Amino acid sequence: MHTQPLRGRCPIRAEVAQSPQGPRAPSGHRRWTGHRRQRPPRPRRRHSGSGCAAGAGGRDLTARPLPGPPRRVWQLPVGGGGGRGGGGGGGVRRAGSGMQPAQLGRAPRHLLVCERGHARHPRSRHAAHVRDHAYSCRVSFLIPECGLLPEVLKSTIADIGDYYLVRSLPIHELVAHEFIDAFVKKGSCYALTYKTKIDQDNTAALLPNGKLILSVDKDTYEELGLQGRPSRYSGKKVMRYIITIDLTDAGFHPESKKHNRVLWALKEKKPLEFDFLMAWYNTGAEGSTLMSYFSKHQIQALRPKITFSTLRDLPCPVLQSNDLQGKPEESCSTEELFEWLGAVLNQVSLDNKSSSFLSTYCCPEPNTVVEKAFLCTITGFIIPEKIIQLLEQLCCYFGEPKLAYWLTLTVHGFADSPVSWRESEHGFHKGGENLYNFVIFRNLDYWLQMAVGAHDDCPP
Amino acid sequence: MAAAAFERRVLRRAAEHHYLRVRLELPDGGARPNAAQFKQLVVTALRELHGEVGAALPVDVLTYEEKSLSAILRVISSGLVKLWSALTLLGFYQNRRCAFRVLQVKPYISVSTCVIWQQ
Repeated sequence: MHTQPLRGRCPIRAEVAQSPQGPRAPSGHRRWTGHRRQRPPRPRRRHSGSGCAAGAGGRDLTARPLPGPPRRVWQLPVGGGGGRGGGGGGGVRRAGSGMQPAQLGRAPRHLLVCERGHARHPRSRHAAHVRDHAYSCRVSFLIPECGLLPEVLKSTIADIGDYYLVRSLPIHELVAHEFIDAFVKKGSCYALTYKTKIDQDNTAALLPNGKLILSVDKDTYEELGLQGRPSRYSGKKVMRYIITIDLTDAGFHPESKKHNRVLWALKEKKPLEFDFLMAWYNTGAEGSTLMSYFSKHQIQALRPKITFSTLRDLPCPVLQSNDLQGKPEESCSTEELFEWLGAVLNQVSLDNKSSSFLSTYCCPEPNTVVEKAFLCTITGFIIPEKIIQLLEQLCCYFGEPKLAYWLTLTVHGFADSPVSWRESEHGFHKGGENLYNFVIFRNLDYWLQMAVGAHDDCPP
Repeated sequence: MAAAAFERRVLRRAAEHHYLRVRLELPDGGARPNAAQFKQLVVTALRELHGEVGAALPVDVLTYEEKSLSAILRVISSGLVKLWSALTLLGFYQNRRCAFRVLQVKPYISVSTCVIWQQ
């Protein structure tokens, strides 16, 4: 039980008062102790009651370390012109802050989540992970020991579906109830602003669950007057805000105050216009299509670009499905495979020697050289439903005996999307990476690697 | 069916290497360097700013396009800041003004979306 409140008690003074020398007079003063009785140092008390800052644990909060000397920060010329497509001028991204010498060897935070499971297990989460990642710009699959597109995949590739590019679309059109009733509530509607930079421009995205995400700068946020929250990656001075509008909310009907407020803000207060990439996956419901609905705007239907290539004499890592970490001389780890796969997709040479001047990168050991490998790349605005179909057909590839031990499916997300997985905020920082990769084995075990950068939450 | 094992590992800052997508700007329109000369230029930049120890930093030029003077560099994660700062402060190539533009820096060598959306 404590006898005096902790609140307002300065721990520094408490410690000085208890020191053998007693409290020191401030410089320039002479302390007159003539009539004062010399009191013994006050003993420290352990507080364990409620209502005390120490709480029920009985911790002694007076024993706090004194603050250290102020840290000096040296401004180093780090990433001075770093930007995309030309740097300088107005295209420069926000430069990094000054770094301490100890941080010279420190790289930005990044996460790689590796999961292992079985594709036919009833509680397997592979489809859920694909569905949670809404916006994909590139899908590639690599099948070793295969020279042509397999039969099981031909129909899926042919049926990949179109996406639409709508130019100069006012965003209040997405909040209109005709649009919500025709597309958002019937099936899955995806929309993402085209060629907007997430850390410089205003960006918008429509998720299939009916949530409209607006990532706007400070001025636009203040002009719009809609309720949002500060961006998590905006730094001490908040320059970016995220506004989330649930279009399928029960309180968002046409006559509601919420709907009227949002419509007024987006239509009259601060009209915002973007070029949108859109796609709609309808569950068989009949009705208008995006092409007919937006016929008054500049809309064009685009087909994803599909390329095939056959790689010859490709060294492939040896993997064991039940061992994510790999064993020396027996199998490669999931990180080594991920790095190797990135090199293959970027057409990096894999047969360098350690004495080579240009590059010493080579395939991780142990590896086997396969005579041929089939690589297919699909580029466009690809929706998760199509990726799930593709994944299922890749699992069916091993329905018949095949020479390959495994195959891979890699999906890249948009670097400038305002969300990565589910509704987690996504930022560009220095790369904007949000991608995932499946490795499907012969026995239908799978590995899943999900990679995000510094301005991202951990994938679910 | 036997119960399949599920395993999940989260690796934080585990990438051993970082990848930089860079482009060299030579506004005078003269002869373009080949891959070896490009690598020598990168080593020279490291030597100018960080000395001989910096020049010994292992940097790999994974891909190089002479036409666009763009390349993908690979460096160990602890040398990222040194390499990036050296490239930023390089101003001359064979007495010709030049500049490095660092387009992307990633811990995983994934395809750049700048390349994807050139339509």
